[in-house]
Amino acid sequence: MASMALKSFTGLRQSPQEQQHPHFIAQALPRQQKFRVSAAKTSPKLTNRNLRVAVIGGGPAGGAAAETLAKNGVETFLIERKLDNCKPCGGAIPLCMVGEFDLPLDIIDRKVTKMKMISPSNVAVDIGQTLKPHEYIGMVRREVLDAYLRERAEKNGASVINGLFMKMDLPRNFEQPYVLYYTEYDGTKGGVGEKRTLEVDAVIGADGANSRVAKSINAGDYDYAIAFQERVKIPDEKMVYYENLAEMYVGDDVSPDFYGWVFPKCDHVAVGTGTVTHKGDIKKFQLATRNRAKDKILGGKIIRVEAHPIPEHPRPRRLSGRVALVGDAAGYVTKCSGEGIYFAAKSGRMCAEAIIEGSENGTRMIDEGDLRKYLEKWDKTYWPTYKVLDVLQKVFYRSNPAREAFVEMCADEYVQKMTFDSYLYKKVVPGNPLEDLKLAVNTIGSLVRANALRREMDKLTI
Amino acid sequence: MSTSIDLLSFSPPPSSMLSRTQFSFTHKPTFLLSSKKESFFTLRASAADNGAGVSAPAVTVEEPKVREASEGPTESNGAVEAPEVKAVNKFEDPKWVNGTWDLKQFQKNGQTDWDAVIDAEARRRKWLENSPESSSNDDPVIFDTSIVPWWAWIKRFHLPEAELLNGRAAMIGFFMAYLVDSLTGVGLVDQMSNFFCKTLLFVAVVGVLLIRKNEDIETLKKLLEETTFYDKQWQATWQDETTSGAKKE
Repeated sequence: MASMALKSFTGLRQSPQEQQHPHFIAQALPRQQKFRVSAAKTSPKLTNRNLRVAVIGGGPAGGAAAETLAKNGVETFLIERKLDNCKPCGGAIPLCMVGEFDLPLDIIDRKVTKMKMISPSNVAVDIGQTLKPHEYIGMVRREVLDAYLRERAEKNGASVINGLFMKMDLPRNFEQPYVLYYTEYDGTKGGVGEKRTLEVDAVIGADGANSRVAKSINAGDYDYAIAFQERVKIPDEKMVYYENLAEMYVGDDVSPDFYGWVFPKCDHVAVGTGTVTHKGDIKKFQLATRNRAKDKILGGKIIRVEAHPIPEHPRPRRLSGRVALVGDAAGYVTKCSGEGIYFAAKSGRMCAEAIIEGSENGTRMIDEGDLRKYLEKWDKTYWPTYKVLDVLQKVFYRSNPAREAFVEMCADEYVQKMTFDSYLYKKVVPGNPLEDLKLAVNTIGSLVRANALRREMDKLTI
Repeated sequence: MSTSIDLLSFSPPPSSMLSRTQFSFTHKPTFLLSSKKESFFTLRASAADNGAGVSAPAVTVEEPKVREASEGPTESNGAVEAPEVKAVNKFEDPKWVNGTWDLKQFQKNGQTDWDAVIDAEARRRKWLENSPESSSNDDPVIFDTSIVPWWAWIKRFHLPEAELLNGRAAMIGFFMAYLVDSLTGVGLVDQMSNFFCKTLLFVAVVGVLLIRKNEDIETLKKLLEETTFYDKQWQATWQDETTSGAKKE
């Protein structure tokens, strides 16, 4: 399946040229001269300075990008508007992120090793029995993780600027830099901040779902979900149940196209839900989620209410000139699970690596082609993951019968093993073909049974 | 907007709420009863009210026991759980024991009456759809529909529809065979051995399997578009490459 997907991408990019194939020399050459197609190896060597890159946004994507850039000799500016920002977030990171990004274990508040999936009719299934002792889903506080990655970038030589990016002037020709306009804060509370400008050669937009960098390059819009979450401090004896367990509630009452959750955080739980299509009813869904978890969070106090948009798919344009988008700004959130932290950090790192390679460690100017390499690599590596999760969402989040079937399927050990393996290590691994066949048959069986029950339900009038 | 007031009453630091210019909550008036109290209880009570209103006129075989909730002491702003202001009907059934259907109670002539099990589960799900319940750890639901054997499902759901479709197919088939025979003189056996006719037959079978109602055509078209929609969204960034300069592979 991956090779098929690959073909479709490469086919797409070459098709305009293939059509012009007979006239390739005649037509393409003048265009080449106008648009500067050459790869970075022929682009001018920078004299007296290294490549300057600004990373807008200091979350996981920005922090990872800035660290990689600074470590490899690029002059890096990391612009973050709120250094103590508590981004509203589920806060789950897969196991591979800890290893790949050398995260210290004290960043992780909790290691979730059990999950409970609860269907619309409250059929509860425990998943996690297939996890090995060293495997877990890490729950982090965003303010802790973001600060750690930023500080590490700073230690490697990046300049962290506390400022709010306002707008950017695009260069009129290849030699000119990008001019960023931002408001710098000096750390005093309530300070108005000073307007400043910064000239850089390339920009990485890591400023999240409402990205201003994306607006500056006309990247286009995407569909987004609203995730709404309440932090609830529950009594200690109830907290024991959530020691290393997270819950997922599915059902039309909780969300028409997503799920409701109870995730344990450092000393409280986060109860939330999300939706794309019925944003106006989000409060109703939240109440329903709380109702479903009522027995387990009884007596708790709401200490915080937060909400944030979550992109549903990548923006139509993820790069333009020497500006690239990463993380939520690009729209790299998976369907079905809504996971974004790992992909943000990984895309930041990948983009930075492409810049390093194209500029030969900051000594040459880069061009759009080098940044396209990052997009290529990203799409090739993670497209199967995104597609599989999209298919799962389309099949299993459609309706209540589909969700019932989903929860039934999750009781199967093979499903649990495949799910966790692909989640924890971010690789879509083809499993045992015989088991896959059994799984397919069981899935169809579950779906058929649930839909048959649904037809019976429709005949009833309670 | 009234939503902002309610939300602010929950969260002590108002700065934690993100700017609402990005999205707006269309707040339904029903949630704010008549009371002006900006407390959690108004929302809770109205939600329970809606729930109770739906389940009250239930006419089912079993008698749902109504659980009286006592008025508890008022909690401070932001408390999660309310002593229910209105009574909530929980799903109860003599045959529903320990989170699953007690198959021994479904015996008919010494064998389990699977149809009754299916009916009971459908009723339970319908009940819960109308008034969702809290999922509690004390009495977890562990019923799995795969406990009902495959032939029970087939007998109940597949066979009647299959009979209908096959009956229609047989009637149309007989008529078409007669028509073709009278028009072209080709008998039934010769019709079946013709490649064109075999293709038509295949198309007819597939068509009947996929399209049973007129709406199915639209559904199928939408499904087809859906399967490739996500791919198109991902490939959008590659579409504009020709405008910004061609790149060799």
